[in-house]
Parts: sequence; structure tokens; C-alpha cells
Amino acid sequence: MTGDPSRPDDPSTPNEHAGEVVELPSATRATDIALDELELVYAFIYARVGNRADAEDLTQQVAMKAIPRLRQGAPASAIRGYLFATARSVLGAFWSMRLGLSQAELHEDLVLAVQQGPTSDEPAERAQRILAGLSDNYRRVLELRFLHGYSLKEVAAEMRSTVGAVKVMQLRALRAAAKVDTDA
Amino acid sequence: MPEKPEHRVERIVSDLLRGRRLRLRAGDAEEKEAITAAARFASASQGPQRMSPAFRRRLAEILESTPRETWLTRRAALVAGLGVAAGALAGGLVGRSLEPGSGPALQAASSPVLPKNGRWTDVGALADFKEGAGKLVKAGAVGAFVFRRGESVSAVSSMCSHLPCELWWDAKPGLLDCPCHPVSFTPDGKPSSPSYTLPDLNEVKARVTDAGRVEVLGT
Repeated sequence: MTGDPSRPDDPSTPNEHAGEVVELPSATRATDIALDELELVYAFIYARVGNRADAEDLTQQVAMKAIPRLRQGAPASAIRGYLFATARSVLGAFWSMRLGLSQAELHEDLVLAVQQGPTSDEPAERAQRILAGLSDNYRRVLELRFLHGYSLKEVAAEMRSTVGAVKVMQLRALRAAAKVDTDA
Repeated sequence: MPEKPEHRVERIVSDLLRGRRLRLRAGDAEEKEAITAAARFASASQGPQRMSPAFRRRLAEILESTPRETWLTRRAALVAGLGVAAGALAGGLVGRSLEPGSGPALQAASSPVLPKNGRWTDVGALADFKEGAGKLVKAGAVGAFVFRRGESVSAVSSMCSHLPCELWWDAKPGLLDCPCHPVSFTPDGKPSSPSYTLPDLNEVKARVTDAGRVEVLGT
């Protein structure tokens, strides 16, 4: 069901497009640089949407918006800021579309969720930092559910509670976590 | 009866923990802080993320095969942060305007996909294609939905004509839905809603050989 992945013409052929504006001598090298940068963008987006399908769609959007800039052959360091600015814009549009809110409403409430650039703060470290700012019960329910993969029923058994009560506690814990994240 | 907030958020948490896409409904915005926090925790639970090899290859194909001669609208340029006037640059697929129904980019959007040095790619036997149902196929870098009508086939691009997202086939209404915004297209590539003006999907060339094989013009 799939086509031949080999390409009929070698995009790295020197001077194939001599005279065109903003073309690198080696398109293959430009692609490699772009993919390495997009790897960082993917991790950045994934940390905010929490699933592969949406992260791939959004990374692809960033790539397509950034193609003209990538083709200018600027060094990786020069295009990184541009890519992340584009990623923030794409993420803003994503949340706006999915939640049915204007970008202005999103900006006001989720400003930090969208404004952060690439940092050394790994998602797991960030989660631990947020958890440390929560009350014991809230921290426990989120740890069990997200970090240990417990079902609601298992969390309820572990915490000697009911599924209904755990659902409510999970909601309150996530609201509190969002507040800790914003205040951090 | 409106869905209780704890049920609403649990539905989303459950999807995230199963690795599913974020599927939000009307009213979910009330819990936007909890939902974005859940997405972050779901990400944290899955460790550092890297692109899959298949997705990396797909991106490489997109980067290397994007048409060089495309309109760049002023709005798209501004949104992308380029700061240049419309049409001043050639060489990007950014040419798709972010405003439905505007600009020359839309005129180009419904043109057939004719790759330079394109080749016909076998995507299966005609018998494998169910009458009237969209089937996603890949012909090198070209993704397409192929539709069988009797002994012939037609195909449209699998990419939305507005946002660059891959469509999916929704069998019940018989439409191609965009995962990135609430639009859908009929099997012949027309937007399904007359109130939301969008360009048609790009046509992809497809044919049936004498041997009963379906071929798509790809790369």
C-alpha cells in the first residue's frame, strides 16, 4: 500500500536550482538541520498537549510555516527562536480552536502555558515541582493517576475512597496544579 | 443534562492516559486550566519524547518536496513572523492563507497534485477498495484518499486545504474531517458546509490498470 520511498531526483544535486533565491547548496543538509531543530519543537509541543497525534500535527504545522525561513540556510541557532515563536503561535491557535476561546481569552488565562520557550526544565521535573506545591491528597491522586498509571478504581482503593470522590479530587487537584504552575 | 465537570475532566484524562488525541467538546473551556494541566501531567508520565522514525521521515519528505513556486499572502507572512509583503518571496507552502476565502493562495489550492518527475504508485487491488468509502494511501510523499466508484476511482489530497493537517475518513456521514478545526469535505473534495468558505481539496491523479490495480500519481 505504500509507494517507493526513493526519490526520482536527488535534491542535493549541486547547482540544480542555481539562480533561485534562498536555496542552500545542499538541501539534504538543510533538511537535517531543520529536522534536528524540529525535534526540539516536537518535545516542546508534546509537553503541552500530552499526546503523540496532536504533537505530530502541530509540529508539522510549524514545519510548513517555517519552510521559507529554513530554506534561507541560516544556522540552527538563528532559526531556533523563530521556530519556537511559530510553535507558540500554533499552540495558541490549537487551544483556541479546541476550546472555542479567542486567543485573547487564552492569552489571559493560559499565558504561561503558551509563552514558555525551550528550557532545560524537563516535563517530569516540572511535574515534580508542581506536585511539591500541592496538598498531600492532591499530590497523591495525581501521582497515582498520572505517574503510576492507576485507574480511578485503583486510586480509590489505594486512598480508601470512592471512584466518585476520586474523580472530584482529581479535578480539584488539576485545578490546583494549574494554579501552582501559573504562580511558579 | 450538562456533563459534570469531574466527569468531563476524567474523560479527557482517560483519553490522554491511553495516548489518544485531545477531543474536547462544547463547554470544556470551563475547565481549561485543569485540561491543560492534565495534558502536561500526561506528557510527564510518558518521559522525554522524540519524533517517531516514521514521522521524522514524513517531515523530511514534506521539507524536501514542498513546491517552490507558491504564493505567500501578507497575512500568512505576518502570522509566520516573516514581516514581508505578500508575494515578495517564492518557495514556501506557507502560501495557504490562514483566512478562509481570501487571496490568490486559495485559487492554487484546488489544483491537481502533479509532482515533478511524478510516478504512478501501486496502492492496492481495486477489490481492496470499498465502494464509496475513503481509503488513505501514500504514494511516496503524496497522501491521498481514494474513492471507488464502480470500476473507476478518484482521489483527493489527504491534507486539509486550510490548515496543514491530515484529514481522516468519517464513515458515518461519509465525509473527510479535519482534526485541526471543525471543517469537513465531501469525497469529491468540496467543503461540506456552505457557510464556511474554503478551497476545494487538491485533486490527486488516480487510475485503475487493466490488471485491476489502483495506482496514484505520487513521488
